[in-house]
Amino acid sequence: MLNQFASTGLHIEVKTSVLFHVGEFGVTNGMLTGIVGMIIFLAIFFYVGRKVKRGQSNRLVQIVQWAFEGMYGQIEQIIPDKKIARGIAPLALSIFFFVLISYWMSVLPGLDSIKWNDAPVLRSVTADLNFTFALAILSLIATQWYAIRQLGHIGNLKRYFRNPIKDPIGAFEGVLELIGEFSRYTALSLRLFGNAFAGEVLLVVMVVLTSYGALITLPVFIAFEMFIGVIQAYIFFILTVIFTYLAVQHHGDEHSDHSASPVPSGDEQK
Amino acid sequence: MLETLLTHVASAAEATGETTEASGDIMSSLGIDWQMLAFQIIGFALIVFLLGKFVFPILLRSIDERNAKIEEGLKAAREAEDNATKAQSKIDDQLAEARREAKEIVATAKDEATAMLSKADEKAKQNAKHVLDQAHDEISKEVIAAKKALHNETLELVASATERVIGKTHSAKADKAVIAEALKGADK
Repeated sequence: MLNQFASTGLHIEVKTSVLFHVGEFGVTNGMLTGIVGMIIFLAIFFYVGRKVKRGQSNRLVQIVQWAFEGMYGQIEQIIPDKKIARGIAPLALSIFFFVLISYWMSVLPGLDSIKWNDAPVLRSVTADLNFTFALAILSLIATQWYAIRQLGHIGNLKRYFRNPIKDPIGAFEGVLELIGEFSRYTALSLRLFGNAFAGEVLLVVMVVLTSYGALITLPVFIAFEMFIGVIQAYIFFILTVIFTYLAVQHHGDEHSDHSASPVPSGDEQK
Repeated sequence: MLETLLTHVASAAEATGETTEASGDIMSSLGIDWQMLAFQIIGFALIVFLLGKFVFPILLRSIDERNAKIEEGLKAAREAEDNATKAQSKIDDQLAEARREAKEIVATAKDEATAMLSKADEKAKQNAKHVLDQAHDEISKEVIAAKKALHNETLELVASATERVIGKTHSAKADKAVIAEALKGADK
């Protein structure tokens, strides 16, 4: 079996492959699949939105509404302030559903076998570090945005920078918080990339190893990958919400210490 | 077998190493391209904006409406429960009132019945006494009449006996006068 495996000359590449160029801009396989995923994602949601607006319903609408309501319920459970929950919901829910659709696209038949310019056409956008980093950066920006809105610029900076003479432990904690702010988003993006990339490799390896037996083994691994897709989408979604909550929650901690706050919280504003 | 695989892996690693060396940094070996990254960020932000502007508000509104309906239903159920409790307590009060009134009616009826009974009893006693008195009067009268009759009869018997004893018949009128005189003397 190892001979067979070795003789296939299986070429696994971490980075996405450029399929063609639009001007100087290289369009990669991950990007192409991502655009297709984005079209599917937008089509489904605009269709569901239109149906819901008209008061019509069908099975797809019900499933999407059920998933949407469930996920939004999770946001409200984590972030009790409805205003912030509603604010972060579009990003968090878009991440969940888009990552899910993109991840599931990695199990489409033709993975690694349909090629153009010697590069596989199908590659999930979630297995592209550019995309996972993009998501992490957007999450980071959203978190900082809400933290600044809740705490103010100075208040938000105080989360990271404190007077080492007055509060040496707090100052050290702030440095750790600053490092943690970047590391948690890096970990978030690498986790999604690692799982998606490993999933694709796993499927290709299973096809190579089991040959015609792949007809039996592949559906099992495809189902497994689809399940992992749900888990990964959920993890990215829930961690984005939790990180946002932690950033705005900091305000509550400060409040309990009776320190001055430049901007009142959402509850106080009400 | 294993050797072949390892050779392949080693050659792949070598190739990757060469690429890394050629590109000069880890970012390009991982496929991170700043232009691509910016494109992905803008693309996804656009998706979020479009959905956040046109689709999610509709879905969130439908959730709010459903929650409002559920809340309304719960409120109505709570109100119905309160009304049912109030109605039940009203029914209980009315039942208690009815029972109290029924008791009063029964007690009044009992009192009236007792009064009527004692009145009837009194009347019956009076009637009985009246009947008894009448009976006594009649008996007295009858006794007097009987005594009178007996008196007359006794006079006749005495006259008859005397006639037989003396064997001589007197006139009835003379006899009666003699007997009456004798009796008067006897009474004295």
